[in-house]
Amino acid sequence: MERRLQQLFFALSLLALALILAAAWQANTPSWKTYQRSFLQLEAQEEPNAITKAAVLATPPEIHQVLLPGLQRVDRCTTCHLGVEDPTMKNAPEPFRYHENLGPHVPAKFGCTICHGGQGLATDKDSAHGKVDFWPNPLLTKDYIRASCGRCHKEGDVPGVPELTAGHRLFETQGCRGCHKLNGVGGSIGPDLTGEGANRRAPEWLEAHFLAPNAVSAGSAMPNFHFTKDQARDLTYYMLSLTNEEMGSYFSSLRLIPSPEYGRQLFVEKNCIACHSIGGVGAKTAPDLLGVTKRHSIEWLDEQLVNPELVYPGSAMPEYDLETNARKALVAYMASATAEDAQAILSRRARAMTTEEIAIEAGKQNFSRFGCVGCHGTELQGGVANPNAQGGEVPSLLHVSDDYTKDEVIAIIRNGRVPPLDNTAGPTPPLYMPSWKNVLSDEDINRIADYLWSKQQKAKDAW
Amino acid sequence: MNRREFFKISWGTVGLAALVSGVGVSLAAVVRFLMPSVFYEPPQSFKIGEPGDFPFGPPTFLVAEKIFVFRDREKGFAVASAVCTHLGCTVAHFSSDQRFHCPCHGSVFAADGSVQHGPAPRALDWFEVTMARDGKLLVNKDKVVPPNYRLMV
Amino acid sequence: MNLIREIWQSIVRRDPLSTDKGKSELVFLNVWLHIHPAKVKKENMKFRHTFYLGFITFFLFLILLTTGIALMVYYRPYPPQAYQDMKDLQFAVFMGTFLRNMHRWAAHGMVICVFLHMCRVFYTGSYKKPRQFNWVIGVLLLLLTLSLSFTGYLLPWDQLAYWAITVGTNIGSYAPLIGGQLRELLLGGHSVGEGALIRFYVLHVAVLPAAMILLTIVHFWRVRKDGGLSRPVWKLKGKKEELVTIGAPAVAVPMQASAASKDKTYGLMEVVSGKPIFETVTPEEEEDTVFSYPYAFVREAVVLMATVTTVMTMSLFLNAPLEELANPAKTPNPAKAPWYFLGLQELVSHSAFLGGVVAPALMVLALLAIPYLDRNPSRRPRDRKLILWLFTIFVVANLALIVIGTFFRGPGWAMVPPWVHVVGGAE
Repeated sequence: MERRLQQLFFALSLLALALILAAAWQANTPSWKTYQRSFLQLEAQEEPNAITKAAVLATPPEIHQVLLPGLQRVDRCTTCHLGVEDPTMKNAPEPFRYHENLGPHVPAKFGCTICHGGQGLATDKDSAHGKVDFWPNPLLTKDYIRASCGRCHKEGDVPGVPELTAGHRLFETQGCRGCHKLNGVGGSIGPDLTGEGANRRAPEWLEAHFLAPNAVSAGSAMPNFHFTKDQARDLTYYMLSLTNEEMGSYFSSLRLIPSPEYGRQLFVEKNCIACHSIGGVGAKTAPDLLGVTKRHSIEWLDEQLVNPELVYPGSAMPEYDLETNARKALVAYMASATAEDAQAILSRRARAMTTEEIAIEAGKQNFSRFGCVGCHGTELQGGVANPNAQGGEVPSLLHVSDDYTKDEVIAIIRNGRVPPLDNTAGPTPPLYMPSWKNVLSDEDINRIADYLWSKQQKAKDAW
Repeated sequence: MNRREFFKISWGTVGLAALVSGVGVSLAAVVRFLMPSVFYEPPQSFKIGEPGDFPFGPPTFLVAEKIFVFRDREKGFAVASAVCTHLGCTVAHFSSDQRFHCPCHGSVFAADGSVQHGPAPRALDWFEVTMARDGKLLVNKDKVVPPNYRLMV
Repeated sequence: MNLIREIWQSIVRRDPLSTDKGKSELVFLNVWLHIHPAKVKKENMKFRHTFYLGFITFFLFLILLTTGIALMVYYRPYPPQAYQDMKDLQFAVFMGTFLRNMHRWAAHGMVICVFLHMCRVFYTGSYKKPRQFNWVIGVLLLLLTLSLSFTGYLLPWDQLAYWAITVGTNIGSYAPLIGGQLRELLLGGHSVGEGALIRFYVLHVAVLPAAMILLTIVHFWRVRKDGGLSRPVWKLKGKKEELVTIGAPAVAVPMQASAASKDKTYGLMEVVSGKPIFETVTPEEEEDTVFSYPYAFVREAVVLMATVTTVMTMSLFLNAPLEELANPAKTPNPAKAPWYFLGLQELVSHSAFLGGVVAPALMVLALLAIPYLDRNPSRRPRDRKLILWLFTIFVVANLALIVIGTFFRGPGWAMVPPWVHVVGGAE
């Protein structure tokens, strides 16, 4: 018995020793060391003589990492991707290949995961590429990688990524904000999209969801907007770029130089010519813009675009809620605008607008910008399915004046309204009118009502 | 020695050896565990930019890296440590006398880094600077070079 | 050579181990070993009498102490660095994964072993006079073990940790009047956040281990003072009846009446108190004893190595879980407390007050009161049928609730058998 116990003790001690050695061996042979050895072999091939060759091969293995405290990130990708900054590795096999077209985006300042996704802290392939459980950001595939540009380049066009601009535009014009909040503005019927790009949501899922919401998310309240494949891709790009990491301030030095082309686009889109003229061409309601950049400083113009009333008390100019870069782009356009160009823009419009029409136009902008069009349609036609309420779909707004006074409509917009059930035993309808009084000013709501009234079709005409 | 005694001794030896080596390996593992594999500090080897980023004449002081980058039209690049060899204060380079002065205990180093006054026990370090494959200057603080080391670009 | 011998003898001041005196002195001249008696009863060393559960628990605690101190070197107790440090342990620190695994599995093992140890003590009736108070200390050690495990659960700062602690602390907040304040005090806020992490850290690495060490010392001391390990007395054949009712003489027989006193010299204290300080050993018992060295020590060493190798083997092949970074905005479905609290969570899902307050309070109170409520002096199972049945039902019910909570609760706390795969709910 005693002999057996001693033997057992010895055997267990040996086992413990073996286990500790196994654990140490396991810890000492991570896969990244294998990659570093093969990379050294590659590098050594190019060395001219045996001594330098041996020196290269003798490089001790170590984990390479890029510290990015501003982004709360540590990227260790370069532990294996050793040739990222080495042009001679242009044709090397992965993971050693040179990263072309890095431009200013050097790994030492940006790391890798900011664009590529994946798990920066990891040092084995599957974990690093995020193809493991419990890591919400797997590597983005080639099809979607360019969406990452939008994580930092939030404003204006990103060269080479038209999808982001198009997606952003779709988001603002198709009424997404009617149901979804983004950065605090929008309805609450759908989920908040701030930081959507950081959620675990495969791009493929997003794209399929835009094409047919119910197909991937059963029972989704989101109407099918019948987007084209391209539009779904654009929106997916835009979604992927929505991260709530504060990259804007971190990369403030990296803002794009705003292009006058983007400015012109905005100038047309916001219908500036309806009030302003350039070199005498256009409406005379507001000041002529030819040479305005010489009369006022860039800062003054920027401030004017942010808050017209503050700079010009009593100004009739609506607030357009333009982003920094959009304002810069507009100013850049104004600096180069000519009367001929104004003529070209104007030729697409019949005549200048009256004050009333301006109010109506502002109302239309609000109607689109705050997402009313999402349910009520770009032409007020309604028709989005909403089972068990108001005949099963969102009502058209073309005949509102038959049933309500303008004040009643304003009250509904302000306070919201939950439609009564058609069948009290039926399911709760997914959509309802949210309250807008905390988002829109009374003035904005009045303008929306003006816009609605301008579109009313007389019941008599219809009969 | 009979069979029984042999086994008695042999079990004891094996057991003792197992225990001693087990404890030894564990201690070694602990020491290795405590040695950091990654450092949460600026790396010892880093790129400081392209040659064109640095002016001729007085050295450029890089604050975070604590180095002076010298660029000379004829001689090329050299990188000196800004850490005093006495007790680790950061020295300043005076262009008036072309020397390094330590604020802590008054050590003064000549233009080549050698000690001229004060308690500093040895000359300032000069670090290896090479050209990386992407055309940027690469400084390696782990490699100390003689004061006459220069990188010609 | 003489010097070496002198140095050696200055350290080891005992006779050679080949002598009985040497064997005794090895024990009582050594600060670490003298918690043992110089001689132990053969019966006490039988594996099936105690299963060495107390030893295993203690060895697991030693593993936890050593690995815990090592892990502290690489841990920063504030979010989200805490989570990053877990990743570092996994990816960059030499043997970091292995050490974390050891700490995790030893912690779970300790909860289980404390529980089994208490069961063993209960079934052998070893909480009875004179050991009542040591049972109370044991209950406190159980609570400390649970608290240590619970506070450690938060430290990785992942989704698992965050929501387990959120749910766990909310169970406690149902306590009337003070529940809410108690939770705030523990969390340093209204929800689990930075304040909670540092508080849990302090509790986990300083306060609770210190309390644990102190109480463990008392626990061991009393085991020794209350007559050594408590055996299942009904297995002893042909022993005196008093030995059957109590493990050791609680009130020692007067000196002159003691058979063993004839050839014993008495110290002053013993003369004053009128009874021997150390337990008396009757001649027939004397035959049943052996020297602690090597008989008890080799068994303890085997148990120690068995514990260590088991934990190491598990740690080599099973990785401690680490989920996503804690996200207060995204509750996993279902969010579960640590497994040993899932019985309570199961009760809470039926009645918050019952599961969160009544049940745990009653459990702890009942456990503490057992030695004082159970007036039956006998330790024979056939004399204590009722209480054994009650305890068994209590244990089985607890286990059943934990098993249900762990394996049978799916999204929305719905009953889902573990063999049914649930596809995640609508996104």
